[in-house]
Amino acid sequence: MRTLLTVLALLALLGAPPAGAQTPGVTDAEILLGGSNSFSGPLAFTGEQITKFGVDLYFRVVNDAGGIHGRKLRTVYYDDGYKPQEAVANTRKLVEQDKVFALIAPQGSPPVVATLGYVEEQRVPMLFPYQSSPVTRGKKWVFQGMTVSDRSSRMMVDYLAGQRKIKRFAAIYQDDEYGKSFLAAFEKDLGRHRLKLLAAESVKRGVSDVSAQIAKLQAAKPEVLFLVLVPGPAAQALKERQKIGWKDVLMVSTGPLTDERYLALAGDAAEGVEGLSLWPDPVTSDLPGVKRYREHMTKYFPKNEPNRYSVAGYFAGMLFTEAAQRAGRALTRAALVAALESTKGFESGILPPLTIGPDHETQKQGFWVRVEKGRFKQLTDWLRSE
Amino acid sequence: MRWAAAGAGGVVLLCWPLLVPPYFVFLTSLIVVNAIVAIGLNLLSGYTNQLSFGHAGFFAVGAYVAAVLTLRAPALPVVATLALAGLATALVGLALGIPCLRLEGLYLAMATLAFGFVVVEAILNLDWLTRGNDGLAVPAARLGPLALGSDAAKYYLVLGVGALMVAAAVNIARTRTGRALLAIRESEIAAQASGVHLAAYKTLAFAVSAFYTGVAGGLFAFVVGFISPDAFDVFLSVDFVAMIIVGGLGSIPGSIVGAAVITLLYDWLAAFQNYRPLLFGLILIGCMLFMPGGIASRMAKWTHQAQ
Amino acid sequence: MAAHVTSAAVIHVVVSGLATGSIYALMAISLVIIYNATRTLNFAQGEMLMISTFVGWSAHEALRLPLPLVLLIAVAAAAALGWLVERLVIRHAIAATHLDVLIITLGLSLVLRAAAGLVWTHDEFPFPSFFRERPIGLGPLRVAPVSLGIIGGSLALMLALAALFRWTRLGRAMRAVAQNQRAARLMGVSVERVYSASWVLAAVVGAIAGVLIAPVIFLSSKMGLVAINGFTAAVLGGFGSMPGAVVGGMLLGVLENLAPLWLPAGIKHSVPFLLMIAILVIRPSGVLGRVRQRKV
Repeated sequence: MRTLLTVLALLALLGAPPAGAQTPGVTDAEILLGGSNSFSGPLAFTGEQITKFGVDLYFRVVNDAGGIHGRKLRTVYYDDGYKPQEAVANTRKLVEQDKVFALIAPQGSPPVVATLGYVEEQRVPMLFPYQSSPVTRGKKWVFQGMTVSDRSSRMMVDYLAGQRKIKRFAAIYQDDEYGKSFLAAFEKDLGRHRLKLLAAESVKRGVSDVSAQIAKLQAAKPEVLFLVLVPGPAAQALKERQKIGWKDVLMVSTGPLTDERYLALAGDAAEGVEGLSLWPDPVTSDLPGVKRYREHMTKYFPKNEPNRYSVAGYFAGMLFTEAAQRAGRALTRAALVAALESTKGFESGILPPLTIGPDHETQKQGFWVRVEKGRFKQLTDWLRSE
Repeated sequence: MRWAAAGAGGVVLLCWPLLVPPYFVFLTSLIVVNAIVAIGLNLLSGYTNQLSFGHAGFFAVGAYVAAVLTLRAPALPVVATLALAGLATALVGLALGIPCLRLEGLYLAMATLAFGFVVVEAILNLDWLTRGNDGLAVPAARLGPLALGSDAAKYYLVLGVGALMVAAAVNIARTRTGRALLAIRESEIAAQASGVHLAAYKTLAFAVSAFYTGVAGGLFAFVVGFISPDAFDVFLSVDFVAMIIVGGLGSIPGSIVGAAVITLLYDWLAAFQNYRPLLFGLILIGCMLFMPGGIASRMAKWTHQAQ
Repeated sequence: MAAHVTSAAVIHVVVSGLATGSIYALMAISLVIIYNATRTLNFAQGEMLMISTFVGWSAHEALRLPLPLVLLIAVAAAAALGWLVERLVIRHAIAATHLDVLIITLGLSLVLRAAAGLVWTHDEFPFPSFFRERPIGLGPLRVAPVSLGIIGGSLALMLALAALFRWTRLGRAMRAVAQNQRAARLMGVSVERVYSASWVLAAVVGAIAGVLIAPVIFLSSKMGLVAINGFTAAVLGGFGSMPGAVVGGMLLGVLENLAPLWLPAGIKHSVPFLLMIAILVIRPSGVLGRVRQRKV
């Protein structure tokens, strides 16, 4: 009996949520957005950069200029530590308890894919998830945030096999949706060039040590090794390669991985590494949007260094703002979706002019880079993936 | 007076989905699920003093068995699915309990820790069945023609099963078995000397504890709707231990209160991201230093003082 | 896709395994030091090591100190942390059962890890190494200096500890308390001093291990999880035995690294736990331990 009363009292302490507004997350004064992201675990750094120094950075700029149609933007994030189950619980909380208007920039293929069913069922827009699985394609309420793995793979394989005439490929990949979607895409695209993967070794999510996998891959003698990993294990792979003196292989990183972040961990083991970059160099590019991004970063977060993750978040914030502005003062979820779908030739100053079609993809390109003296140097122009 | 209070409480419990928003109903279901685990863990640790740091493993087994059964054999009624989940987990518990008979205290804690890891790794590696790291979406439980898809439906399922399990536990505690288990906790040698068959009861405790946790795991799969191996890690086992420590070792009401406190704390602290484990740890330390008997012993002291 | 792994690669993997094994051995030793003195298991050992290494790293980042000084700072931080924890937390719980103290150290590990995340974030950082990364060629073999350095450094530390236990007063006092606490007290040994000394010593060993291994596994708030392998190593070798800890650690490191070469790579993560279960079931006293009889 005492037990029951205690439990009920505890529950009551949680307090009742505020009465629902017409459109959840939209009041006269503010728009509430949220997302489940990584603030601990293997993607803690990228998660924080995408949200607090990316999306929030852009929203600070917008709020200082008066907001969107007079409404200020607020965000709330929960930590899922790159775990799909936590992401499901967090997303539920965001939608049902915090009543966010839309989900913005959640990260990681496994967590995002786990929440897809719920998001579609609840008709909540999920905007620009930072993940590469093609499973999000064709969903009514989801707008892809990153070049999808099959497009990335096509660009990478066509460039390496087609232009540079490389024949021997292998891959080291994370053993989940992120890694497996790339693996499947690689196999398919190599098949078009009448080639196949000589060896593929998997790495469990959350594990850092890859010495056994690298040893086995060396035995297959590939010319190119695709790295479909997150920064920690990828840096380990580079260091391991250096430790065993494996010189005659080219390490190539996939889009989500290609950032100076994992190079910093690998130190000089990263020289000569190449990859597909999805964003212009945030530190050196003089594209107008990137320059503005740097100015804003210096103004609001002077101690934070620019990187591709915060650029991605910044861009997500920018896209949302642009669409919400066009949707007008009577902002509903359906209106936002319609506004996004009618985006034509949007000039961000960061990426090429963007037109969003019925496939809901916001990014379809990348370009080739190689590491020289600790930074990625651009080698090609924007590659096309159609 | 007591019966009136009990009746009122029962009415509130039954009408809960009508009184609070669905998210709260979901939380309450979670509390009951965790309470079942806590009761099961208490049977093992509180009564026979075999502390387990691997109960997340049992939880995972129950969850996955229930999920896979619902996917592969959808015609099975939910009660059967849960029973099978519990039984499968009990068998695993037996498999763990027998070799652990020789171990005690420290060594036992480490063996259960290792077990927890191994079980989850096994689930991960059986990815043709469990979809490995990507996780499994669990369809709604079926009770005859009804699909228990809404939060309220799941709540009633959990409440019903939970009530049964609590009643069973209370009964066990009252019977000879319960007394034997308590005797083992006080002193194994003395218990043995007074005729308690040590090995049988210790193994029984493992199996029953596993059964409870397995059923709770199955319920968990239905309530949350999605399971993946990395959620059943050692930190979950620690959470379960925290529940019985905070609530009070060896106490059934304590288990329920402990489960409620930890579950609610978890949800309430979500907005604080990085502070959550910090507060958890501080609570654990504080409990051990200042309230070694848990909330249950505190409450017992208060009622004694009131009398 | 089963390509043949060369014998040079196997040797490299074994040497790598001995290196991580040495770290496991150091971890096991520090756990055993605390256990022998206070009969408690310190679940926060890894986190204490992690914090000490972070403190050293912060000094390095802020003041550009040379590496030997960084090591000294990490050791000092560890000593302070070990002493504080023993004095403020453990000492007060000494009336409680050993299981209770276990829970306290568990809570402590959560607190320390969260605190590290708040101060330094949960990100991963490169840590400067005493040894070069590029492999040196010994004929057809390639060995990484960092592995050799870790093995050498660990062995030197183990020898120093052995000397401490054998030839110093403190060492003898610690051994006395480990054997029989009551008798030691009757002989005039200050048991409280031994408790403090044990925690400080264990923390210091941990800090050295941390500075040695951080360049390889990267410095991060989850670095402390390496201590779990220390537990396994200690159990493997026979809990309570120092030489056992060393043997257990080396064995674990090598087995852990060799297994994935011939079994699926995913097995590496499970190897320590499978071994632990196997040992606990087959021979709980471990490889080198003696079977203990329980007194009524």
